[in-house]
Amino acid sequence: MIRRALFAAALAAMLAPLATLAADESASGSLPHGGTYTLTRDTTLASAAVDVWFRAPDAGYDNSQPGISRVAATAAAASTLESGKSLVSLVRGVGGRITINVYPDLVDVSASVPASAARRVVAAMSAAYFSPTIDDDALKIARTDVAVLSAQERFSPDDLLHDALFAQLFTSGPAHYAPIPGDLSDFKSITLDQVKAFAKRAFRSANATIALAGNVDVSLLDAVTAGTPGSADSPIASSVASAPADKTIDAAVTGEGLAWTGPPIADERAATALDFVADYLFRDETGLVSKQLDPTGDAYVNGQFITLHDPGVMLVTIGGSKPNEVKAKVLAAVTAMQTPLDTASFDAAREAFIYHLAADSQSPSQQADNLGWYTAEGNGTYAPSDSASSYWKAARSLDPAYVASIVKKYLAHPVVVRLVATPSKDSTS
Amino acid sequence: MKFRLAAAAAFLLFVALPAVSRAAAPAPVVTRNGGVTTITQLDASAPLLHIVYVVRAGLDRQSLSQNGLAALTAQTILKTPVNGVALQNAIAAAGGSISFAVDPGDVRFEIESLPQDADKIVALVRTAFGAPVFDAATVRAARDRLTTRIAEDQQIALQVGMDMLSSTLAPSANTGLPQYGLPASLAQLGPTDVRTFFATFYRRGGSYVSAAGRIDALSAGALDQLGAMLPEGTTAAIDVKFPKLEGSSRQLVAQRDISAPWLIAQYSAPNVASKDFGPMLVLASFMQRTLADMADVPGVVSETYASRAVGAVYQYENPQPDLVLYVNGGIGNPNRSFSTALSIASILATTKLEGSIDEFKAMASGDFISATNTLEARAWLAVVYDENGAQPDYLSRTLDAISQTTAADLQRVARSYLSNPTIALVLPRENS
Repeated sequence: MIRRALFAAALAAMLAPLATLAADESASGSLPHGGTYTLTRDTTLASAAVDVWFRAPDAGYDNSQPGISRVAATAAAASTLESGKSLVSLVRGVGGRITINVYPDLVDVSASVPASAARRVVAAMSAAYFSPTIDDDALKIARTDVAVLSAQERFSPDDLLHDALFAQLFTSGPAHYAPIPGDLSDFKSITLDQVKAFAKRAFRSANATIALAGNVDVSLLDAVTAGTPGSADSPIASSVASAPADKTIDAAVTGEGLAWTGPPIADERAATALDFVADYLFRDETGLVSKQLDPTGDAYVNGQFITLHDPGVMLVTIGGSKPNEVKAKVLAAVTAMQTPLDTASFDAAREAFIYHLAADSQSPSQQADNLGWYTAEGNGTYAPSDSASSYWKAARSLDPAYVASIVKKYLAHPVVVRLVATPSKDSTS
Repeated sequence: MKFRLAAAAAFLLFVALPAVSRAAAPAPVVTRNGGVTTITQLDASAPLLHIVYVVRAGLDRQSLSQNGLAALTAQTILKTPVNGVALQNAIAAAGGSISFAVDPGDVRFEIESLPQDADKIVALVRTAFGAPVFDAATVRAARDRLTTRIAEDQQIALQVGMDMLSSTLAPSANTGLPQYGLPASLAQLGPTDVRTFFATFYRRGGSYVSAAGRIDALSAGALDQLGAMLPEGTTAAIDVKFPKLEGSSRQLVAQRDISAPWLIAQYSAPNVASKDFGPMLVLASFMQRTLADMADVPGVVSETYASRAVGAVYQYENPQPDLVLYVNGGIGNPNRSFSTALSIASILATTKLEGSIDEFKAMASGDFISATNTLEARAWLAVVYDENGAQPDYLSRTLDAISQTTAADLQRVARSYLSNPTIALVLPRENS
């Protein structure tokens, strides 16, 4: 009797993902062999986005191997599968594009393909990651890839500032390290065995979320043949600095960045309030600060609230030859937000914010990225790409006094990092 | 170099791939009434409604001395106060956006909104178009905005080069003018010019209302009312002929405040109704991917600066379509990359292709499908296809055209189009 009940429960769990969806619906559930999926479908499109997300520390499980997460994710994608092709060559061969994104605590492998190829890509992606077979050739490709990206980032103020600000805000844990290391001396000593061990642990199916969007269906998940049941890792924590210090860095480019720690993803209303602030102040063309910049000059500003498990981070990066002037505008605008906006201005800004949410999640790739990120950070029902999610309720609930109170609570004292251009030298503190 | 070319040619030997399946989307619905063509594509799961509104008031309605007037008129409409707020700001505050682009034959307004705000935003648009404000202050604000946009565009070397090249294909001298005009020409234009241009050319005849996404959120008849907001009537283009320049050079050179030179080659190309359209899409995708592969570090998986610094763009939406190859000189040796790009074009035209071209076709299908993911693209492509006399079910028509392409088609099209490019060089100023 008990066996029968267990069998029935197991059968139900396996059949759940195979349930038929109506033409345009969202769903989530369990993968056939461990792990979870989240899906939103639009049958009027001809494309599909297939993403797989893992909780994985960028510098390894003991934080001693900066870059290992990136190199393992890339090597798995470049490894030759049973079909004779790698995941990368399969995706490109069907007319798609593949992108590997590595964050301090997450790995995302994203493929955008014609919908007709989605099943093959799901099969190849799950084979490449859920039972990785990384060899020397794949590792060589991955090493080159990371080296090229590392060299590129030396000329990207946004990337340099992002990594440096996180290093100041977090004293240890994955958030302290750059996903793509600027200094490759330690990275070069990572061995094939270490990469294989990392991949085996991080890329377990049980630790995965597959996010599907576009013209997709849950039946695609039948193509997941690899994997082992188990439980997912918890969201990975990093230690927050009690009094983060400002820093000046010699770099190939100038820039200035500001960061504040914010609410965790679980505090949906507060996190949404800081998204609203970032949109209102920094969105390209419409943001209050963005509009103050000379559009024909070289100055630019990017501002975003990065929703993370705990805590989130408000990050502002400034580029151009005179970042200090822009920083003054940023600080003035943030301080002004401590005073509630008048009702008419606030209502207009909130409606614009909600419109921007929708405009920024139109394509299947954007939707899969959004669903995967929020699920991996621990709150999938809060993903803003789904207009029925709790995010939209939180956005509509915002009012001037609440937003001002959140700004006052979280955005009082930023940590500041300055990049000073000394073109011929490597970064030093 | 030889190895790279050989690698590119090896693409020809890939195995056959299955055909690309189609979306379940119904074909766009077209209705014509009183000179207005309305095209609708319902997508009930889309987060937004997008409307492309096309009026025959583009560059070809300007005389040469009116350079920028089409843009100034459109920008003035966006600056027109509605309930005391400029239309563009009023729409932003209501949960949407509006922008415009000036094309050789028309001006195109892009209107977007949240579903629940759709009626409100369409009403704002109708109010502004019904009573545009052409006083000195509004026109001045519009001129200032355009002057800024011109300055912004001048910093984008690829844009500068493509603008230069588009003028070489223009059948009438005015259609080759820059879309926003020049600061000097805008300074000569005032409220009377704008008012007259609007009164003369903002007519229903030949206009399009193309909507995609949450059309179901609109009240019944809302799109028809939008299409009928201008007076009836049709207008004609102003034909401005210039004697052809004498000379054998096919090079255009400009200097801008940029850090590295850009090299751009332009070939004329077929429109969407041509039998050569599918093969040209396949060629363009092949050129794009081959150039990126050549520029990149061998074997690298991620997209890099180098792979983005070169490319091919097939501008089939233009009245005079073209294929543009470009190289950003900031990546190292631009001459080598550029000469390689031109060599590939030449080889494709002269060398017999062997093996399967299915991999090329998959790339072309994938690229086109990817380009149809936004509501804006879906609404605009339906107009482009209808304007060119093709049925506006752009997706199935294009995928069919790609699917039916043979190696012989590819060779024929390469031979027909990929010779004697016009070259644009955008160079850093000598003092920069």
